[in-house]
Amino acid sequence: MTNSIGEIRDADFMFVIGSNTSEAHPIIAMEMKRAVKRGAELVVADPRSIWMTTIADKHLKLTPGTDVWLLNAMAHVILKEGLCDEKFIEENTEGFEALPEVLERYTPEEAQKVTGVDAAVIREVAIRYATTRKAAIFYTLGITEHSHGTDNVYALSNLVLMTGHLGAASMGLNPLRGQNNVQGANDAGATPIFYPGYQRVDDEAVRKKYEAAWGVDLDPNPGLNLNEMMKVAGTTIRAMFIMGEDIVMSEPNISHLEEGLNNMDFLVLQDIFPNETMRFTDVVLPAACFAEKDGVFVNSERRMQRVRKAVEPPGQARADWEILVSLFAAAGTPLESQTVSEIFTEMTSLAPKFAGITYEHIEKLGHGIQWPCADDESDGTRYLHEGGVLRGRGLFTAVEYRPSLELADDNYPLVLSTGRTLYHYNAATQTRRAQGLKVKQPEAYVEMHPKDAGRRSIGDGDWVDVVSRRGTLRCRALVSKQVQRGCIWMPFHFAEARANLLTIDEGDNVTGTAEYKVCAAEVRRVTGEPKPTRSSDREVEFLPGSFYRG
Amino acid sequence: MPFGDGETILDVTRRAGRQVPTLCHDDRLKPAGACRTCLVQIEGARRLAPACSTKAGDGMQVTTANERIDEHRQNLLALYLVDHHQGHDDCEDGAPCELHAMAAAYGAPTDWEPLPLARAERPNDDNPYIEFRADRCIACARCTRYCDEVEGVSAITMAKRGIETTVSTADALGLFDTTCELCGGCVAVCPTGAMAEKMPLVAKAPPERKLHKVRTTCNYCGVGCQMDINVDGYGNNGKGQVAKITSPPPGTLPSDGNLCVKGRFAYDFIDHPDRLKVPLVRNAQGELKEATWEEALAAAAKGLRAVEAEHGKDALAFVSSSRCTVEENYLVQKLARVAFGTNNVHQCAAT
Repeated sequence: MTNSIGEIRDADFMFVIGSNTSEAHPIIAMEMKRAVKRGAELVVADPRSIWMTTIADKHLKLTPGTDVWLLNAMAHVILKEGLCDEKFIEENTEGFEALPEVLERYTPEEAQKVTGVDAAVIREVAIRYATTRKAAIFYTLGITEHSHGTDNVYALSNLVLMTGHLGAASMGLNPLRGQNNVQGANDAGATPIFYPGYQRVDDEAVRKKYEAAWGVDLDPNPGLNLNEMMKVAGTTIRAMFIMGEDIVMSEPNISHLEEGLNNMDFLVLQDIFPNETMRFTDVVLPAACFAEKDGVFVNSERRMQRVRKAVEPPGQARADWEILVSLFAAAGTPLESQTVSEIFTEMTSLAPKFAGITYEHIEKLGHGIQWPCADDESDGTRYLHEGGVLRGRGLFTAVEYRPSLELADDNYPLVLSTGRTLYHYNAATQTRRAQGLKVKQPEAYVEMHPKDAGRRSIGDGDWVDVVSRRGTLRCRALVSKQVQRGCIWMPFHFAEARANLLTIDEGDNVTGTAEYKVCAAEVRRVTGEPKPTRSSDREVEFLPGSFYRG
Repeated sequence: MPFGDGETILDVTRRAGRQVPTLCHDDRLKPAGACRTCLVQIEGARRLAPACSTKAGDGMQVTTANERIDEHRQNLLALYLVDHHQGHDDCEDGAPCELHAMAAAYGAPTDWEPLPLARAERPNDDNPYIEFRADRCIACARCTRYCDEVEGVSAITMAKRGIETTVSTADALGLFDTTCELCGGCVAVCPTGAMAEKMPLVAKAPPERKLHKVRTTCNYCGVGCQMDINVDGYGNNGKGQVAKITSPPPGTLPSDGNLCVKGRFAYDFIDHPDRLKVPLVRNAQGELKEATWEEALAAAAKGLRAVEAEHGKDALAFVSSSRCTVEENYLVQKLARVAFGTNNVHQCAAT
């Protein structure tokens, strides 16, 4: 996030796209609700009706995968109406020249044909965004989990740069991070192209610095990203060390992955619960959960915050960092840093963005520290790009619409998107062991439109098979107008109906992130299964009337 | 005292370090001026005025404590006590009771005749997390205002009048059948433990004042809410047990003291019997068998080294985790790069 969470309540215009905020980030949604009650405008772009759309001023119910059309059409309007912030573009950006030519064909009227969003609404939203000073954009995996995820982000960033909505409180571009420490895992260099602090492995000066610090020769070539690793698991990749991920639940196109894992020579798993991946594992190392260890998580707004040990881990389980320290020794390369605060300081001292952050400094300030933080005099950075864009000049990147990889056709006429719900979390190894959440939402379901259900003689609560080119799974149908016609939606939390049996493992060509949000599928009614009492009677339809603007 | 635009007397007196008691106030809510415990005397005004909802004005002279105010507070708190669960210790079987503590601090009389309980409960509410205990409620409406103003779902509301005033839902439905998202904010803001947690884990635990709190960061989504883990030091045979999760005070960055259903209630996984407790190594028969740490670590290192020797360093891949800490991610990438010489390290977070 370029902004802080606390700044959301002061925003005057919020454009939320591809984010089911009230379910995936409930506390950020609270800040948005506060802003709406104060009088801020809220526009939500999402293929589904979600809680946030019930309080939104506008809901742009676009066809899945057509984000670039929508965003380029907004940019087209801003350009044609002369609403660009020319001074900001002149002083802070580069590459603007290429934009007008590309945007020319993205008229709202053409966009309406592709996205299904009314041209007048696109025009109005674009104008409101451009002419409101404190205007912030929020997005999540609905933007990035596409084969054109990077293009989507470029298109959003173009909107921000052309209107100059950057570098001040309550205005900016805010990806909301999905996991507790997505930000921190990337910050710490757990990526094939970066050392800690986003320093590239193929930058010679950087590499020399780390070679000197770590006392070894380092590989100058970037490694494989997660998606690539999974595709060649069992062929090029012969052994894998996995910490805290249930890959056969969370990775796309699982059948292919499981075949690969069968052919692996060696697999080590370090986790807190037995999981689906354990079937393929040679060594299992029992780890401590967050309440049983010390450390740092970094949140969406770049805030490095302490995690503190409250209780002992069960049995012989140990903190992941302790296990790793022992594994270094077992591998014949013992570490110098032995405590968790020494390890943290070793990381921050080699990364200029984090150089001022230590456990002592975090404790002294009492509320975590938002990087960049250059030294221990600094309190960190509330919002980015103040007084000029960080990289010197903000780069416009004109993007063209590319359709999603797999579109609906005669055999698979429905578009499947997957996502998360309020009551469960990812592979649900934790939340499905929470008794209350299990009652509230015990099992998998596929949401489908009444028209699509009716045509297939499917009733609410019926057992159905959901089928894609990669697999089949069985779950209940939840017939609802929350999804649009031609689209179906599934949560991916449930081990007995793993939505990722269906998803496609082709991904974005820059980030490698798979297209979890769009693949072609079909739903068939299962006959012969007794019609059970439906758990989702518990599902409460949204009651829009219950939100009062103050 | 200087003051900013829109600041109330309460804001200014707090900044001046003066104690003004409040029961219905919460910094996240619009002032209600309902409980009357924060009444102060303004020079020239005939009546006492609520500090929480009265704006500070130029040249205003405010007295926060004198005989008149003390007497008012004592009588007021005594009136609240007659309409509340009797007995301080007994009342605090869960969260601490702000009313009893305040009554003791201001010397309110405790021997007034208690009123019969007239508030309706919702005994058939079968949601697993939140319970309404009518005998504790003092109708301050913090919970209903939080539900409306902060969580924005308006699942609970004040119903009935006079001594029958109670916290209810539309048609007195169970919370599962309302717009409630089980965030538990009502539990967190309740000053008297009327809104309480139902969890069996907590029911067995000692009262909150006997637990010790450890401030930490939530392990679910990327908001990074701050939370207090309440530990029963005697639980788990003296190893310590997580008894409940509570919210830090309003104003705590970055989450302003708010939590969602997962953060506040989905912690029973910590003590779940399924937890992995012993290292396992697959034996020659293909079965995962218990092993010592030394055996497991040696097997892990040996297996990785063997593949490195046969197929080269880039036949190895390291999957790190956005669920683990910064330090642990740092160590995994260092393990890949330093111990095994490969840049094949990533986690599920390429967004």
